Amino acid sequence: MKLALAIASAIILLVHGLVFYDQFFHKWERHQNAYFDQARTQARNDAERKELANREPKIEQIIVTQFGENRVDRCTTCHLAIDDPRFKDHFEPLKTHPYSAALGDYQRNGRWERRHKFTDFGCTVCHDGQGRGLETDYAHGNDEHWNDPLTGYVTQANWRKDFTPHLKGKEYMEANCAQCHTEDNFAGTPHVNRGRQLFFGSNCYGCHKIEGLSEGTLAPELSEAGHKFKVDYLWESIVEPRANLATSFMPKFNLSDDDVKSLVIFLKSRRGVNYAETSLARYRTRLTPAKEITPESMTGKTASQLADAVARGKQLFEDRACAACHKLGDTDGGIAPDLTLEGRMKDHDWLREHFRTPRSRVPDSIMPAFRFSDADFDALTAYLSSRQETPKIPADGAEMFKMLCSRCHGEKGDGLGPNAIYLDPAPRDLTKASFMNNKPEERFTLAIKEGVAGTSMPSWGKVLSDDQIKTVYQFVQTGLVKSPRRPLKEHANVPVSNPTPYSADSVARGEAIYLKRCTGCHGLKADGKGPNSLDIVPRPRNLRNQWFIGALGDYRAMASILYGIQGTAMPSWIDYGLTVKDASDLLNYIRSLNPAPKAVGNKTVAQLAPGVH
Amino acid sequence: MSEKTTPSNSGDSRRSILTWFSAAALAGSAAISALANFIFMKPRATYGQPSRYSIGRPDDFPSGTRVSIDQRRVCVVREGPKLAVISTICTHLGCTVGVSDTGFACPCHGSRYDQDGNVVGGPAPKSLTWYQVSLAPNGELEVDTNAPVDQGTYYTI
Repeated sequence: MKLALAIASAIILLVHGLVFYDQFFHKWERHQNAYFDQARTQARNDAERKELANREPKIEQIIVTQFGENRVDRCTTCHLAIDDPRFKDHFEPLKTHPYSAALGDYQRNGRWERRHKFTDFGCTVCHDGQGRGLETDYAHGNDEHWNDPLTGYVTQANWRKDFTPHLKGKEYMEANCAQCHTEDNFAGTPHVNRGRQLFFGSNCYGCHKIEGLSEGTLAPELSEAGHKFKVDYLWESIVEPRANLATSFMPKFNLSDDDVKSLVIFLKSRRGVNYAETSLARYRTRLTPAKEITPESMTGKTASQLADAVARGKQLFEDRACAACHKLGDTDGGIAPDLTLEGRMKDHDWLREHFRTPRSRVPDSIMPAFRFSDADFDALTAYLSSRQETPKIPADGAEMFKMLCSRCHGEKGDGLGPNAIYLDPAPRDLTKASFMNNKPEERFTLAIKEGVAGTSMPSWGKVLSDDQIKTVYQFVQTGLVKSPRRPLKEHANVPVSNPTPYSADSVARGEAIYLKRCTGCHGLKADGKGPNSLDIVPRPRNLRNQWFIGALGDYRAMASILYGIQGTAMPSWIDYGLTVKDASDLLNYIRSLNPAPKAVGNKTVAQLAPGVH
Repeated sequence: MSEKTTPSNSGDSRRSILTWFSAAALAGSAAISALANFIFMKPRATYGQPSRYSIGRPDDFPSGTRVSIDQRRVCVVREGPKLAVISTICTHLGCTVGVSDTGFACPCHGSRYDQDGNVVGGPAPKSLTWYQVSLAPNGELEVDTNAPVDQGTYYTI
């Protein structure tokens, strides 16, 4: 018993002693004493020696008030000699901070003079790390919970081993230079400049928003990326977009390591604040509207100008990483539609307008509206229009389907092709017999031939002959649907055209019925995104897709309302008490939501896409 | 019984040694803990600008300079090779005094000081403080506001 007590007391004494030693005899005191000793041997006169003899180790700190929030930098507690040029050949921590002309240091009367004085700037403004820390591990930010480890010098233990070699190097500090030096081409921050170029060049700006730079809405905002994320996360997110979010559809850009590094440094510099800016200046920049791109016109092109435009369009297509999403020839981004035959299937106006505002032609497209100049839009349009190649179409329907249709509709035809989830409206599930066998065959062949307006289904008639279309349709019907067609039911009471004339009264009645019956799925905004829509496949139709509605014939619309659409969630409303009159009012209401079919070139919408009547 | 007494005697002395040892160890722990508290009598670091700071190179202050550094609340005075740093904190209620032709004048309650900081009028009870100046290794002048010096103590460049 006594022995145990004695041992326990000894342990308590030991622990107390260790804690006492650890708390009151600091490493930094030893560093400071070493500095005082060495400085004394180098002192030139007695006054200096006397002054040094009077100095005692104490916590040195620089309080920085000019850059963002007040900072307390105690780095000089260990790094006491940073501003003492006699220590330039010593080892850390007692080493002079190097003088560098690149940082703006200059020589005066044979002595170096610092551009960024430590008393004004402190340390963490440039180096990051934990300014208040007095122990090496904490001060340098080795701890994985510290957001900003010493930039370019410290990599934290939980960072991915394959990335850490890339994450060292003093170029990473440029991100901090750019907190004040925000000019586009500041010579001291080449990596930030390159990263900014890449941000625009690789079209990151189309999806990502950075305040003051871009307005993208598809992807997470990056205005404060440098504040929120560590460099390893940024690197990983660029190199492997799905590493952190399995559902991310950000393309892989396959950039070189140097480019990734530049992008990471650029993103790290985005902290949502500019230290050099007062809050008033920041407010003013928010008030000034984003720079407008001045339109350049390309009218009256000569043949050589056209060839220039095509070459420039090709260059743009490659430089701006269009193939990160789209497919063209052999490169496939796996997200957006195949553009190989786009030049043949779409006319010049469609292409150009779609480039300028993708949603003006496919209302639910996720393609961002890029801020190119008009000349660039013209060049891209010219390039795609110039690609009039004729593909080798296999004679066999199955092969043809595989080659042309499976990228969206899936190899099995189930509407789950590799890029199907990015298309809205989604590709049709061609295996669903209840749908396929309840629509007239002409509808399908016409949809193939003329495309479906307002969707990603292009008009294959420009590429395939009628016989080929018939062949591929036959394959779909026999190879995919797998259940034989039966004779279609005739709906004798559905009028061929809307019997109720378009009037404010009729629209008001239609709206009342719509609000009562339709909003659950089609939504209050009639955009097909009602509360039930998420549970329904295929999704409810967006009734404000002006191209689709414009091409939708009265008969098909009213038959769909009254007798439902088999194979989808659209019920047969005649069973729930709706009359032909109600359906015609509803149709008038839906038409009232969409602008009257506009003329494009000299064709109306209905003429452009008559195939789906 | 005699067999038992011998070990019990040695056991007693062993026990008492252990007791003393335990008591000493625990007392030592208590003493260390108690002593450790004294460290908190004085703060290890204080917030606010550090008391030692650099004001620039001697060349920045040509002879005849009397210039006030408002952020630091000091006035740098140089006459030939002699340089001094005088506090501009009024000794009355702590306003920042202005540098005038005749010396210093406080805008708050009209205290007046001569060129060396001696009170010549107004409510101020004491003359202005002079601070120690030294040359840092990087060639800049360093002021230590924790080290007041006697009036008329100049740093010679």
